[in-house]
Amino acid sequence: MSPSLFLSLLVNGVAMGMVYALLGMGLILLVRAVGILNFAQGDLMMFGAYICACLLLDFELPLYLLIPIAFIWFALLGVIFMFTIYWPLRKATYSQATIIATMGASIILQEVAKIIWGSQPRSMPHLVLNSEGDPAVLQIGSASLQWQYLIIIAVGALIIFLITQLFEKLYVGKMMQAACQDSYAANLLGVPSILTICATYIIVAIVCGICGYLVAPVFMVRSTLGTLQLRAFAGVVIGGFGSIKGAVIGCLLVGIVESFSTMAFSGYKDVTVFLLLIIFLVFRPTGLFKGKIGDKA
Amino acid sequence: MIKISNLHAYYGTIEALKGINMEIRKGQITCLIGSNGAGKSTLLKSISGACNRSGSIMYKDNADISNLSPQKVARLGITHVPEGRHVFPGLTVKENLEVGTINWHGFFGRKPYQKEMEEVFALFPRLKERENQLSWSLSGGEQQMLAIGRALMSHPEVLLLDEPSMGLAPLVIAELFEKIVEINKEWGLTILLVEQNAKLAMKTADYTYVLERGNITVEGPSAEVRSNDMVIKSYLGKFANTK
Repeated sequence: MSPSLFLSLLVNGVAMGMVYALLGMGLILLVRAVGILNFAQGDLMMFGAYICACLLLDFELPLYLLIPIAFIWFALLGVIFMFTIYWPLRKATYSQATIIATMGASIILQEVAKIIWGSQPRSMPHLVLNSEGDPAVLQIGSASLQWQYLIIIAVGALIIFLITQLFEKLYVGKMMQAACQDSYAANLLGVPSILTICATYIIVAIVCGICGYLVAPVFMVRSTLGTLQLRAFAGVVIGGFGSIKGAVIGCLLVGIVESFSTMAFSGYKDVTVFLLLIIFLVFRPTGLFKGKIGDKA
Repeated sequence: MIKISNLHAYYGTIEALKGINMEIRKGQITCLIGSNGAGKSTLLKSISGACNRSGSIMYKDNADISNLSPQKVARLGITHVPEGRHVFPGLTVKENLEVGTINWHGFFGRKPYQKEMEEVFALFPRLKERENQLSWSLSGGEQQMLAIGRALMSHPEVLLLDEPSMGLAPLVIAELFEKIVEINKEWGLTILLVEQNAKLAMKTADYTYVLERGNITVEGPSAEVRSNDMVIKSYLGKFANTK
């Protein structure tokens, strides 16, 4: 394998891994906050992509207007998602009810997207274009790297950094962590659990929306974009469900493995990813990393 | 301070408290003893709003708190330290204490809480030593201190302590009860103490209520209750007052 090919495969892999990592991080935030696995994660991303495509192509907004308006829509999507999918079922006898509800939400989001924007995939322009209007490329030696992938990596890393900082350093983040870890005690102390849960949903929806905006130029805006979440699930399981760090590293690993496997057997890249998942499930079902809350005994 | 009349509490259709009348007097330690399943914890939960209840609970100047949510009750200055400690396992000792400030600090506030934290550290020096340790790794006694310290961070006027001695070694329990008396005497907090350990609780408290199957059966100043025949027979044992 030539170094230039290696470099471009690596960049592609890390970029896709970053997208999975953002989705996976959202999954973990939700699991920690409300204890449910969100099967509509990818569809939130898909919906975000459609919102961006709509604002960008139909309303032709410039980037500085697009970002705040898109953020408001993402946040709104998160709040609606919380109050329709999670809130009515929070006291259900079986916690699985909420998980099933998220599966239903996944279908609803896909169909609503089709109803509003039609079933025809839409193409979004890359973020960085060259003078002819084609996707711009960065030449390093003989390797040509697409700017879109580099932007995905940079933005993804920035978001992951910001969110870990939010949870570790800020007062609000600590309240959110407390409410996640023991909602009963947090409630007795006066932590407004509805606000912390709502904030978590808003953050997750915004992260998913940004993901959608980033991957839209690569995969086109279509209602099946949500299937990317399967890779995020695989990554989260490989990394271990306990920590954001684990999820990010697991997802990056999935992205890189997927990217390099396209070279050897491109038709079987999905198989490779899930083979990796099975290997982990058999030999290390707890994932690469343990959570920071240990078992005392 | 808190006056409870005709309080009923329910779990689904099961009635756990059947018309409780009691009073928690300002500046005193009031204790509530009773066997398993008598409804002691339920009574605390009814005061703090964590369970389904009806009746009237008057707090201070005749404000009825019997239909407030836990959050609002906490904001009024009644802090409930739940049974089984319930520290936030993945937060450090310091962060746990910070969470205690939420009801007066506000979600986005910037009020300093350094002074409160130092007071708590002065009361429980062990917590200061473990300041940056994740709280799941603390010993049971330290976790209980943390749970009480966290409640003290919230500027409480009334502290509801649910079985602070649960699962702790006798020496640790003795130390903890000294601290509880200190909180009552020097910090001037009113305390409602729920305990299985009837002897110790009555030694500490000024006034005692005995709860049996959802009803108050005996009440009075602790010294009197300690010599009540029924209490001796059911909770203390024959030789309780011989030494």
